[in-house]
Amino acid sequence: MKHVPSTIEATGETEVRVPTRRALAKQQTRAKVLAAARRLFSEAGYEGATIRDIAAEAGMSTGAVFANFTDKSDLFREIMVSDMEALTEAMAEASSRGRTVEDALLRLFMAGYAFYKTQLPLARAAFSISWLPEQGPELRTLPPVNAIHELITDQLNLGVERGELSQEVEAKLRTQMLFDCYLANYPEAIFQGWSLEALQAKSRDQIRVVLAGARRG
Amino acid sequence: MAGVRKSQKEATRQRVLDAARDLFESRGYEETTVREIARHAEVSVGSVFTTFSSKGDILSQVMADRLDALYAELDRVAPHLRGSTPDRLRSLFAIHYAFETRRTRLFLAHIAAAYNWTLSPASRPYGRNLRLRQVVRDCLAEGVVRGDVDPACDLDVVIDALMASYAWTYRLAAWDEADAQAMSAVMDRHIGLISQGFRARPTA
Repeated sequence: MKHVPSTIEATGETEVRVPTRRALAKQQTRAKVLAAARRLFSEAGYEGATIRDIAAEAGMSTGAVFANFTDKSDLFREIMVSDMEALTEAMAEASSRGRTVEDALLRLFMAGYAFYKTQLPLARAAFSISWLPEQGPELRTLPPVNAIHELITDQLNLGVERGELSQEVEAKLRTQMLFDCYLANYPEAIFQGWSLEALQAKSRDQIRVVLAGARRG
Repeated sequence: MAGVRKSQKEATRQRVLDAARDLFESRGYEETTVREIARHAEVSVGSVFTTFSSKGDILSQVMADRLDALYAELDRVAPHLRGSTPDRLRSLFAIHYAFETRRTRLFLAHIAAAYNWTLSPASRPYGRNLRLRQVVRDCLAEGVVRGDVDPACDLDVVIDALMASYAWTYRLAAWDEADAQAMSAVMDRHIGLISQGFRARPTA
């Protein structure tokens, strides 16, 4: 089903790769399509945005879009991956400044909410897709999703090392539950317009409940 | 006269909902058109639209009716629950999973649509399942009375944590085709862990 993207100029393995004019043009085209797709997914949702609309928004033919991307889900995945890589970095940075395990996890959550605060419609489209049997598994196995899980686990393990949490922290289970809580607050942000402060207060309580059984002393 | 028209309208409504429920489950929500729903219900497309504003609206009504049946079942079962509060919670959530996995595709379509643009704000029960929240709240409140739930804990926070686990455990159905038993097993562990946060401290 997926057709092979147009051929890339052959270059010798040892040569320094100077991007050809054609390669540069291709990059620019991709960037233009991605920007247009981002705007339309945000305005019309995933189902509402067609490749034709996206091409028109980018000022090019549908053929030019298909020369760069296999289909709509390919476009959406590319946007998600680049966003989530940036998000993972922001979460890593934020959680590293935490003083306690609770504080670090809260900063991690908040880095996520702050990141998506300005692009909630896109987050909404992503949530919708993630429940579809065809595309859900693809979104779920994106490398950044695992990276976020690992960040949470790292903080739990640090909590154990610092003696805040007991050795029997059941890090895998708690990581999943914390991630569930993190995701479960998005509907409040998306549909109820919760402020970052409100999300923070709720997240703090949730983190406390999930960690309660692992507290030492 | 008016009575006849009203009951006709009601019969049409029910036929449309039955047809839609079966089509959404067998073919999927996205793949089903209003025209097909009308054909299966043996009514005109026009009369579908005199009763429902959109396909999303039909989906929302199908789900609302199913939830009525689910909560009737829960109302029957709830007085017979025995054991500790965590065990009672496990039963409550297991009933939900068992119910929804009878029509998994329909339920998942509903969750996906809850984030979709086609549904009006009024038709988004996902994430704010107030009746489930109330059932869980009652269970925890009884636990306070019986003495295995800490009266000092904030029930809303506990309910939020339980609801987050409950909702996202459905991803196992969406992505791994998990059945009710598998999801209940995961939820049981989550409840066990959350209950560490709300169980009553032994008095010194």
